[in-house]
Amino acid sequence: MKFSVFQLSRIGGRALNEDRMGYCYTRESGLFVLADGMGGHPEGEVAAQLALETVCALYQKEARPLVKKPAEFLAGALLAAHYRIVRYAAQKGMLDTPRTTLVAAVLQGSSATWIHCGDSRLYIVREGELLLRTRDHSFLEQEHAGFSQADMLNRNILFTCLGSPTKPIFDIAGPLALRQGDRVMLCSDGLWSSLSDAEIAWEIGGKSVSAAVPALVDNALRAGGPHSDNVTVLAMEWETPDVFAPTRSGEADTILESGFASTVQAGLSDKMPGSLDDELDEAMIERSIAEINAAIRRSATRKP
Amino acid sequence: MSKVKPSSLPPDTLIGGYRIVRKLSAGGFGVVYLAVDSEGQQFAIKEYLPASLAARAPGELLPQVLPEKLSLYRLGLKSFFEEGRSLAQISHGSVVSVLNFFRENETVYMVMNYLEGGTLQDFIITARDLKKPKVFRESTIRSLFDEILRGLRIVHQHKMLHLDIKPANIFITDDNRAVMIDFGAAREVLSKEGNFIRPMYTPGFAAPEMYRRDSMMGPWTDIYAIGACMYASMQGYPPNDAPQRLEKDRLSLSLSRLRGIYSDNLIEVVEWCMSLDPLSRPQSVFALQKELSRESERHYTKLSVSERVRLQFDSVVADTKKTARKANPLGTRLK
Repeated sequence: MKFSVFQLSRIGGRALNEDRMGYCYTRESGLFVLADGMGGHPEGEVAAQLALETVCALYQKEARPLVKKPAEFLAGALLAAHYRIVRYAAQKGMLDTPRTTLVAAVLQGSSATWIHCGDSRLYIVREGELLLRTRDHSFLEQEHAGFSQADMLNRNILFTCLGSPTKPIFDIAGPLALRQGDRVMLCSDGLWSSLSDAEIAWEIGGKSVSAAVPALVDNALRAGGPHSDNVTVLAMEWETPDVFAPTRSGEADTILESGFASTVQAGLSDKMPGSLDDELDEAMIERSIAEINAAIRRSATRKP
Repeated sequence: MSKVKPSSLPPDTLIGGYRIVRKLSAGGFGVVYLAVDSEGQQFAIKEYLPASLAARAPGELLPQVLPEKLSLYRLGLKSFFEEGRSLAQISHGSVVSVLNFFRENETVYMVMNYLEGGTLQDFIITARDLKKPKVFRESTIRSLFDEILRGLRIVHQHKMLHLDIKPANIFITDDNRAVMIDFGAAREVLSKEGNFIRPMYTPGFAAPEMYRRDSMMGPWTDIYAIGACMYASMQGYPPNDAPQRLEKDRLSLSLSRLRGIYSDNLIEVVEWCMSLDPLSRPQSVFALQKELSRESERHYTKLSVSERVRLQFDSVVADTKKTARKANPLGTRLK
């Protein structure tokens, strides 16, 4: 498996960056996640961070090195993230819950599977043209898809997200077979609200991701003006399904000895006794035992 | 935490498809059991159960960890995995082999070859009590350490250090093999020097750099311990610990007592391995093996009359210290 990846997040004209992004991978599988904490509710950035950490922690547990059923994994991880946010709010006795969108993709073998909830999007660009993008869970977008909600005052409003008292609605798509040169991009609404799909496709399809992502973010910030929303973009270019080696990346580009690498820092774990901490430790224990037994088997076969 | 040791699992307890026969030993990290599988084959199973962090009432299976000790417990678990990981990579007759690793009773278990025999420490104490001038014959020492060094070379090739080599961690099997056991202190340090927890050390066998937090450890650190083990096999008791030696080094003096009993070459090898300066020691196991296997004619230099008088005087002084030495027989681990 081989891909190039680049991620960038800018605060824009806001006081806080409530967008979170990250990716992690094993030798044969990669996970890309983006969450946009929602305004109008408390601690959007916490909701986004919790969602990111939860999905990545579960991925680390499941990807050995492949995720067996990517679609089921993504659905389970999204719900786990949702319940974690709700639990966080309950533990803190909050009157309103923090909320976030989520878009996540698993790339393995030579195909992509993705999930989304809210208005953070996934784009796939092939040969410079937009192949597909996700449809937001907003009344506006679903109207395009056939629903009619003409009387809504603000049609940009989302009807679902993670962290709300009602269970999130989400869409899963894939597996889609990827071809060499395909670009897969995750972004927050700060990008697509300022730039048209055509502009996005043209930019991301025409350059390497390491050049296209900063250009896109700059363009969106400029178009968004002094009050621009947070703009976050995470994009990867699919290369020949060869030996794994990300050729370029923002932060992590080497596989650790444990066969797992991640750009996601479990920063909130300290504040969350008995939740993710335990999940991570459990994953660490299981992983260590599996590694040791694999090493035992390898040594045994070497024995004369 | 109470000072009561967690109870070991009773005989006939089933864990991971093995049946416990009896407890073999208990250390800081946990308990080692003799166990048999369904086919009756014997194994040694090490249970992670740090006495200072976990409690277990008699008859219970699950250890209880106090919430405030949980992070330390997890940290210790990482070291336990480290030991498993180290041993799993190595397949050599002189290094104890790990055969399985599993989770049960909310803790983890490491299945190892069951060795029948005794530790070098047991043998030294038995031989010492015979009150002969030689504890072991020179040829025994040479062949024993040749075997150990072959294993240690493989360990170092895997970028690991043992860091707790001592007679209690060298096992001599009934079929006459020497096997290094207890890699609890082993860490993969040769590749990543930065973030590394200093292990516990055993006075007498730990090189001076094990005490200093600023200096680098390497193969020469294990080689110091090998020298100290050879010393113990010749003298019958461990050498002075490194801080004592740094204050006043009596190593040459006490080795000179062995002149005429052991060859000059062997005595020089011990002194070389136990140089206080890490750079003055053999820098690799290979260098030491080469020196040790040099089969030239052995020279023995007897003590002169004046030297014997000096030694006599020294032993009068040393006698007063003997009680203290008995309290610490051949290396007890300190934290």
